[in-house]
Amino acid sequence: MRRASLFGLALAVAAAFAASAETAKPQEKPQDKQANWNWDLPKYVPPPRVPADNPMSEEKFQLGRHLFYDKRLSGNGTVACASCHLQERAFTDGRVVGVGSTGEKTPRNAPSIVNSGWHATFTWANPALVTLERQMENPLYGERPIEMGVDDANKAEIVGRFRADADYDKWFAAAFPEKKSADRISFDTIIKAISTFQRGVISFDSRYDQYLQGKIKLGEAEQRGHDLYFGEKAECHHCHGSVNLDDQFVHAKTREAETPFHNTGLYDIDGKGAYPEPNHGLYDITQDPDDMGKFRAPSLRNIAVTGPYMHDGTVATLEEVIDIYARSGRKIEKGPNAGDGALSPLKSPLIVKIDLTPQEKADLLAFLKALTDETLLTSPRFSDPWKAQAAKK
Amino acid sequence: MRTLRNIGFAAAAAGCFCAVSGTALAAGGKTQPVAISFALVDEGKEVGCGAPLANLGTSHLAAKLHEARLYVYGFKLIDAKGKRTPVALDQSEWQYGDVALLDFKDARGGNAPCTQANPAKNVAIVGNAPAGSYVGLEFSVGAPLETIVDGKPVAINHSNVETAAPPLDVVGMAWNWQAGRRFITFEFDPVTPVVKADGSKTRTWMVHVGSTGCKGNPATGEIVSCLHENRFTVALDRFDPKTQRVELDLTRLLENSDIAADKGGAVGCMSALDDPECPAVFAALGLTLGDVAAGAGDGGKQTKAGVSPVFKVGGGTSAKVVGSKQ
Repeated sequence: MRRASLFGLALAVAAAFAASAETAKPQEKPQDKQANWNWDLPKYVPPPRVPADNPMSEEKFQLGRHLFYDKRLSGNGTVACASCHLQERAFTDGRVVGVGSTGEKTPRNAPSIVNSGWHATFTWANPALVTLERQMENPLYGERPIEMGVDDANKAEIVGRFRADADYDKWFAAAFPEKKSADRISFDTIIKAISTFQRGVISFDSRYDQYLQGKIKLGEAEQRGHDLYFGEKAECHHCHGSVNLDDQFVHAKTREAETPFHNTGLYDIDGKGAYPEPNHGLYDITQDPDDMGKFRAPSLRNIAVTGPYMHDGTVATLEEVIDIYARSGRKIEKGPNAGDGALSPLKSPLIVKIDLTPQEKADLLAFLKALTDETLLTSPRFSDPWKAQAAKK
Repeated sequence: MRTLRNIGFAAAAAGCFCAVSGTALAAGGKTQPVAISFALVDEGKEVGCGAPLANLGTSHLAAKLHEARLYVYGFKLIDAKGKRTPVALDQSEWQYGDVALLDFKDARGGNAPCTQANPAKNVAIVGNAPAGSYVGLEFSVGAPLETIVDGKPVAINHSNVETAAPPLDVVGMAWNWQAGRRFITFEFDPVTPVVKADGSKTRTWMVHVGSTGCKGNPATGEIVSCLHENRFTVALDRFDPKTQRVELDLTRLLENSDIAADKGGAVGCMSALDDPECPAVFAALGLTLGDVAAGAGDGGKQTKAGVSPVFKVGGGTSAKVVGSKQ
């Protein structure tokens, strides 16, 4: 009988536990949810900074994923975030520049959202945008050009589209249990959920990562490319040397964030280092003449699948990118943008001529290709949930 | 003395308003309501809503008003000794803390001038001040870094447009690329299209003013500073809110600008130091665009304290003073 009574006790305890978990749920604080989030990062990657008012949770991640892939978020219902950020292209779009909901082109190449939770600043060159939440206001509300096309006139209607959807009602309730039902669905919560999804889109499973984790050896060419990348000859690591292979890497414990921007000699249209309109880089924000043509060094993770390259998408292939850096800048022979960026007085001193042999270029390319993370490109966790839902029906 | 008498009269009649508002007033003191009207004028005539604009800029063009709104804050009444007394703004969808949004367009958005049946959206600020004798008015243009609400500082310019209280929740006044607000948005559609430097044509000539060169702190996620503040203060030594109004003169704003042309940068002026259209616009607003000498640090500051050439005291709208000049 002793065993039976113990069993009974266990049952009772389990029941009490279940009951307390149930009743505890509504009072659960956002911080508690954060504690439940598992970043699942390799040892060499510290967790990213997460705004105190937008803690991570699986519910919010999944809600954000649905919103990210939902065209109803644009004013005219024609584009979603995912229209310019495609999973199979590591969340870029393969176009030279982005195209908004009304057909207007953006001035710049769509950057990847991958590992963006660790970015110090967002977009190609803007020190004012230091959170994903802030960055998102630009594609949502931007007028020049229009991207998502959300404005004062249609904002309530767009929120209404989600309020009218019973599934979303459920998902928002699960993601924002602390909010009253009346203000659960708003642009505030939409932005927070999508930011949570973006923070959760992480990529640390490339061949390079497997190599770092001691699971594989790099191929010979990859290894030689790796040594060039991190060595003092090619010096790629100066600007692409963080664990995210960029140089604006901020994590939870960062006390002072570095935010370097670089002029890489892509243009010199006037012999004084000018870049063509409308992309003057950091200069557009700071108006400091020295900042002409300075842009944020993007992460090189998944770089092989994110072409075309550079802030304005004007370099078609990775081979050309390597050639440009090897000659220490791009020379444009004719046309309105003619000029030799290699001679730009504003070019970063880190960009110097490197005598790379064809073999070395091929090796570097092999290493850059080892940065592609197939898990990221194919993981159902980051994929379009609407497609999966439709396939089930 | 008319000014003083009117204010005194207003104070006497004010009793019933006191309880409704008044967040920052001396305890036990009597208050008086304050209402300050604004008007947009072109060639000395009141415009706004869909009223046609005439004779604008150096090409003397007719134009349609596309947008005309601005944030104003820090209203103070000035007494004969020059002492400033803050006005406590009523809190509403147009006023939060000491900040208000003025919008000279009508809700209908047609081609009709403002009338009682088709009013401009918001062209007056309302609040109250300690009872007293006042002779002048001071206010600032822009969204301040912060304001005091219920005794606590609240972020304004860089607050989230999604969660901010009205009127700071207006998406059309958000300046997202600077993580802040547009302080001033004036947009004009001239009768002939605007010709850009490359020969292409566009419809709207724009004036957008806000703090620029803003920088965030990636470690905290907050905006820490903006290089060019681009806020300014308007001091009107003699101003009687009962009979007068504050006029914003579009003729003066565009006096040295050609709204049929854009020589580079944004179409019109969006506060860029290198935009060929910005020097004339900023001079009219009374702002120094960039540092006069390298490192002077006067860029984005008001050129002369209290002076903005586009603002002046104008005749009021009450029957008594219609048509009168200041």
